[in-house]
Amino acid sequence: MIKRAIFGTMAAVAALSFSATPGIAEEYPAERLTYTIAFGPGGGNDRMSRTLVDILKQYELYPGNIVVENREGGSGAVGFSYVKRQAGNPYSATSTSGNFIGTPLVADTDWTYADFTPIALLASDAMFLVVRTDSDFKSLDKVVAAANEGRITIAGSGSAGPERVTASLFAQAAGIKYEYVPIGSGGELVTALTSGSVDAVVANPSEVAGQIEAGTFTALAFSDTERSTNHPEIPTFRELGYDFNFSLPRGVVLPPDLDPAVQDWWIAALKKAVDTPEWQDYLVTNGMSGNPIWGAEFGVYLKETSTKYETVLKDIGAID
Amino acid sequence: MFADIVSNLSLGLSIAASPEGILFLLIGAFVGMIVGLFPGFGPAAGIAVLIPLTFGLEPTIAIIMLAGIYYGSMYGGTITSILINTPGESATVASTLDGYPLAQKGRAGPALVMQAVASFFGGTIGVILITALAPSLASLAASFGPSEYFLIIAVGLLMLTTMMGDNKFKGFISALIGFAVGTVGVDVMSGQQRFTFGSPELIGGVYFVAVAIGLFGVGELLHCILNGQHREPAKKLRISFRDKEFWPSKQDYYESRYTFWRGSIIGFIAGVLPGSGATLGSIIGYSVEKKIAKDPEKFGKGEMRGLVAPETANNAASAGAMVPLLSLGIPGSGATAVLLGAFMMWGLQPGPLLIVNDPGFVWGLIASMYLGNMILILLSIFAIPLFVKFLDVPYVNVVPVIVLLCVIGAFAINASIVETWILVISGLIGFAMKTYGYSPAATVLALVLGSMAEETFLQSYIISDGTMSLFWERPVSLVLSIVLLTIIAVPLTVATLQRYRSNRMFSSDDKA
Repeated sequence: MIKRAIFGTMAAVAALSFSATPGIAEEYPAERLTYTIAFGPGGGNDRMSRTLVDILKQYELYPGNIVVENREGGSGAVGFSYVKRQAGNPYSATSTSGNFIGTPLVADTDWTYADFTPIALLASDAMFLVVRTDSDFKSLDKVVAAANEGRITIAGSGSAGPERVTASLFAQAAGIKYEYVPIGSGGELVTALTSGSVDAVVANPSEVAGQIEAGTFTALAFSDTERSTNHPEIPTFRELGYDFNFSLPRGVVLPPDLDPAVQDWWIAALKKAVDTPEWQDYLVTNGMSGNPIWGAEFGVYLKETSTKYETVLKDIGAID
Repeated sequence: MFADIVSNLSLGLSIAASPEGILFLLIGAFVGMIVGLFPGFGPAAGIAVLIPLTFGLEPTIAIIMLAGIYYGSMYGGTITSILINTPGESATVASTLDGYPLAQKGRAGPALVMQAVASFFGGTIGVILITALAPSLASLAASFGPSEYFLIIAVGLLMLTTMMGDNKFKGFISALIGFAVGTVGVDVMSGQQRFTFGSPELIGGVYFVAVAIGLFGVGELLHCILNGQHREPAKKLRISFRDKEFWPSKQDYYESRYTFWRGSIIGFIAGVLPGSGATLGSIIGYSVEKKIAKDPEKFGKGEMRGLVAPETANNAASAGAMVPLLSLGIPGSGATAVLLGAFMMWGLQPGPLLIVNDPGFVWGLIASMYLGNMILILLSIFAIPLFVKFLDVPYVNVVPVIVLLCVIGAFAINASIVETWILVISGLIGFAMKTYGYSPAATVLALVLGSMAEETFLQSYIISDGTMSLFWERPVSLVLSIVLLTIIAVPLTVATLQRYRSNRMFSSDDKA
């Protein structure tokens, strides 16, 4: 049933693009696709990319073969640089995540988000502000009050990553001062809080969902514009009166200089992909909200996120 | 409590000992050994490559296979440390110190058998300890914050001094080179780049695997060529299970009978603490063994205990690392982080509730580790004659093969030429270090631990608002601080006392 419906739409899509640009529609996609993952295996970007590629294969959304390559290094700099240098090659694709915006801001890369052909924002990855359940911080206001009275420490992964941007935007909105503690990986971040070393952490929902479920940690607020579909009980910062939102683009981009028909083909294919139960499962397991944004609008979204990010990095002195 | 353990284990065994479970365990163990054999291609990459194969499988069967790759690589990883002095990962650096000299003395067979036996012993003790102590140990892992990490890493760094060889001055220089290389990359506090010279590949720092392969593997080759080893005819080693020289001697077992226990327990505890468990475990295991030995001068020259200690420790540590992974959902290393990613792909939620919600999964995995270690020791011992045959090949033919393996290993890390250059440069430095008696082991371990020490120290410094009170205000930190000070103070006091005593003896002699 599903298969037939998809096949039908696929045919319709093909026919549509046929009329627009006959040259390319006949041939595209005719070759093997190389899906580059700019990060190591097992990480967030890797999980999303592999899930997506599996869906493309399973539902035959991409007719040819797909090869997945991990090109990690330099917080995404290496892999994204590789894809950017594939300019004009419609058989190369990659997934974006926080570093797609962040790395070019802090490092001297030969690419920025603006170089790529935007296809779709498939999921937004926002942050939780998390405290220990047995701590005194029963609400976000308590955290703000404690910061006004004394000194609070908030930890997050990395020195200039999205966790810090979220913490910084929160402090700005609340008018408080806090001490940011950059911690390496997800595991150390969790123990920094379980061991009582820091007062709160800003973390990706997937990193702390197990602890929240077990009742060890309590999430006080969520940094997206809407509540998370997985944790509808946790309010957004906005709802609590702290006027900001910040989330990371988990999406798909292609190399620069492509035929618009290729972009349209991909938008149509991914619109099918996000409707599959596998994709919905992925969103639930990884605690993401799925409000897709397509094509040029995704480009605008990337620009806004990058500007927000850049402002915070300048404020904290990470970049000039 | 005992009844609980029995019922849990039998639940686990009923899953792990199924024909399907054993088949995939065999595949995992075999792949793990192979993955361990290639320098640079570590368990994390091996697991990641096989994850797609597991989608059709029951999650428990899948994890049994992937975990087999993880601890199986600890068996295979030491083979290159012993045969070609090239550790494939930081946890097997300590095994080169006595493993390679043993092979050079013509005892490659016994060394390889002993490392398999030590791996089996460490791995099995590790699983027994998980079975019995996992819940209580989980709270230990959860109580470790930045200050505790810093202190335990500092203990590891102090232990490095026992691995530096005879010349301490050259040893310190070697360690300082490692620290210096460790500063490359993003400064964890400010987010600014240090010594990356605009290269995006260096933003994440210099990856130690390329450095280790270069310093040890390539450096050793160049040194052997300098000595003219490539002109020597191949030594014909007769290797067969029937030969007495193939097996470790009774004396080997007798001398290391306590080493097995000490290495396993030290390694397990280090493994439970998330971070660089297996590496720290092998360093501390080796150092303790050398410190308490009556004949420390034998270490570093092909002493069986010097191989047994790090090998039991790193295998027990890889079992220990399962404790925070299964009971808290906290990965302690690159490979366990990939395993954690796989949990989520199968729709399991790693965290404190995993063991409550999916007991079959957790106990199936633990039970499979008992079987896995048995399979691995058999696989290793049957494969050893094959590996020892490698030494029969004339050195002049071996060199290109090792160079090729090293280059592939370095390139495979990120599929980038930068790591290959790092390999070449480290190879030249390793050659100089070997020729002039410096310590490549100290350099590699300082590189791994140095940047961790820096990060955790700065974290503690920020948290305590620059007062460093964290190091004595937190109970676990206080204990670790005292241990650290004792390690520093005792040798100093002993040395001072001895000097004082010998001075007095000297002066009383003078009077007489």
